[in-house]
Amino acid sequence: MLRDNIHKALAPLNLEQVESGDYAKTGYHLEITAAPEQIPEVAKTMLSLGCFLESLTGLHYPEHFTLVYHFNNFGELCRTAVHVKVPLDQEAPTISHIYPGANWYEREAYDLYGVRFTDHPDLRRILLPFEADFHPLLKKFEASSADA
Amino acid sequence: METKTGAPLVHIGLVEEALNLARANSLWPLTFGLACCAIEMMAAGAARFDLDRFGAGVFRPSPRQCDLMIVAGTISKKMGPALVRLWEQMPAPKWVIAMGNCAISGGPFYYPDQYAIVPGADLLIPVDVYVPGCPPRPEGLIEGILQLEEKITQRGRLRKFRDVTG
Amino acid sequence: MLERGIEEKTYVLNLGPQHPSTHGVLRVELEMEGEFITKADPDIGYGHRGHEHMAENRTYPQFLPNMGRVDYLHALAYNQGYCMAVEKLIGLEVPERGEFVRVITAELNRITSHLLWVGAYLLDLGAFTPFLYCFDDRENALDLLDYLTGSRLTYCFYRFGGVPVDIDDDFTEGCRKFIQRLRSRWVDYDNLVTKNVIFIHRTRDVGLITQEQCIRYGLTGPMVRGSGLPFDIRRSEPYSVYPRFDFEIPIGERGDVMDRYLVRLREMEQSLRIIEQALDKIPNGPIMAEKVPKRIKPAAGEVYMAVESARGEFGCYIVSEGNPKPYRIKLRVPSFGNLSILPEIAVDTLVADLVAILGSIDVVVPEIDR
Repeated sequence: MLRDNIHKALAPLNLEQVESGDYAKTGYHLEITAAPEQIPEVAKTMLSLGCFLESLTGLHYPEHFTLVYHFNNFGELCRTAVHVKVPLDQEAPTISHIYPGANWYEREAYDLYGVRFTDHPDLRRILLPFEADFHPLLKKFEASSADA
Repeated sequence: METKTGAPLVHIGLVEEALNLARANSLWPLTFGLACCAIEMMAAGAARFDLDRFGAGVFRPSPRQCDLMIVAGTISKKMGPALVRLWEQMPAPKWVIAMGNCAISGGPFYYPDQYAIVPGADLLIPVDVYVPGCPPRPEGLIEGILQLEEKITQRGRLRKFRDVTG
Repeated sequence: MLERGIEEKTYVLNLGPQHPSTHGVLRVELEMEGEFITKADPDIGYGHRGHEHMAENRTYPQFLPNMGRVDYLHALAYNQGYCMAVEKLIGLEVPERGEFVRVITAELNRITSHLLWVGAYLLDLGAFTPFLYCFDDRENALDLLDYLTGSRLTYCFYRFGGVPVDIDDDFTEGCRKFIQRLRSRWVDYDNLVTKNVIFIHRTRDVGLITQEQCIRYGLTGPMVRGSGLPFDIRRSEPYSVYPRFDFEIPIGERGDVMDRYLVRLREMEQSLRIIEQALDKIPNGPIMAEKVPKRIKPAAGEVYMAVESARGEFGCYIVSEGNPKPYRIKLRVPSFGNLSILPEIAVDTLVADLVAILGSIDVVVPEIDR
């Protein structure tokens, strides 16, 4: 079963949390929480098992950004969701050298939220005009001062 | 010889009327489909709602060869300068049809906090005919083109054959 | 031959954003050496309308009309994905007849999308007649959908819990006539397009995509099926009532433009089969769920719902914090991933081939830009 293979392959990485998801409720087969530094290793493991990157989403919370990576497989269905918490002023590592398709997803996350990715080959805006000076999807939290 | 305003010194009414009739019946639109309305514009040019029978079916990709710009779709802030540039590149006399709610006033994408679109083509270029709808049916676009023809020739269509009252 | 004093340099050519062959407002910056392309860099964002920002400022039902405008060519698949995601979040079950109506209308919409692609693609390659043929067939399907839903293009037909309008005998009969007529047209398309020598020369062995590239770039849809991988969400992650229908998944062999064209052509025939079977098997019953809450206020949580649209996998990822407005809706659109492979496969091709490749990716730019 692909899900068990992924479980086994990710065991040596000592991730914060690896557990089976409730497919009927959330659509995930595997839910993973990881630290930002561990993302490239997770991506390498998923690529070695033949999974492709379905989507990369950003979420803005008062104290941190959450990046959610979704992986899936062409042969056997196994949707893996990787939640990564990135503190507001920190950069996240890029996986565009492992998955070239992530290049544009990371540019989109930068454009909409301002999350920077270290070692990204070409980190510039992709949806908004190049000279825009705001990040549109940042939320306005009353308590925090880091706003758009 | 031209006066300071650029208009000809002598107007010959009959020639102007004939020229306007010719211009109205052979409008060449620019392929300027931006979003969903572009598909209805293509459908208006296709076999069922033929635009060619009005003389307006020759869609040209180059603005230098057109006299009608149909702004079909939402104008994002990134696209605004390109729109103005294309309009400026069209030779006079030129007309503009704003097709669809997005080109008229921003459509469903306009709300107080919005950051992404220009709410209406007439904020950038002068518009002659507005065709509402989201998207307007191809018959709506054809009616818009016929209204534009009336505007150009300053004559109504054959009134006794029209279905609408007035 | 080049002598001293003549420098060979590359020059930059702009393709778009206003261009008849870019299927929307897409700009591709081409660095060229003569007619050969050394670098192709797509520049998107000319159709950015802020759907995801709107999602955070609208309630769940208020956001439903947006889904018809993200990808206006297969709007019902996006409607379906969003409605099913929200129904998963709030735990609402759609009755069987409602699911059948959804499948019939979504497959009709898939046929109109593929027909438009065939017509517009051949217009890019320089042939005008298939465009008229395809639009004529498309108008027949649009008549049916217009009769049922009221719209021709940007549908907002599904509701949370089912569909609002039921199909009647006129619609069923019209569907059967449409299926019969379209089946008789495949011969015309074959003779006019598929066997056309110029078409074959322009599309064979152009724009090859390997299976490994499919995995690395996250491609979905006919791009992947053209390269030989039988990946279709309706089969691998079945949703709605698709498991009850018997249909094939057409795949290509080499992953070139011609294979992708054939995959889409054959998919239309499979969609006709699905509609036929659905019309035969549709049960009687209600079309809307009984208890649909008046205020949609899902519990805190997240959901990812994937459906197969004409372009690939549409994924609707909703994060809810228990409010009537969603916290975040991410629309995973297939054209975004599909277009990102263009810089790699456009190197060392001619501009005319680039147009053929770009058309075969089947982009709808407003869905990339959301």
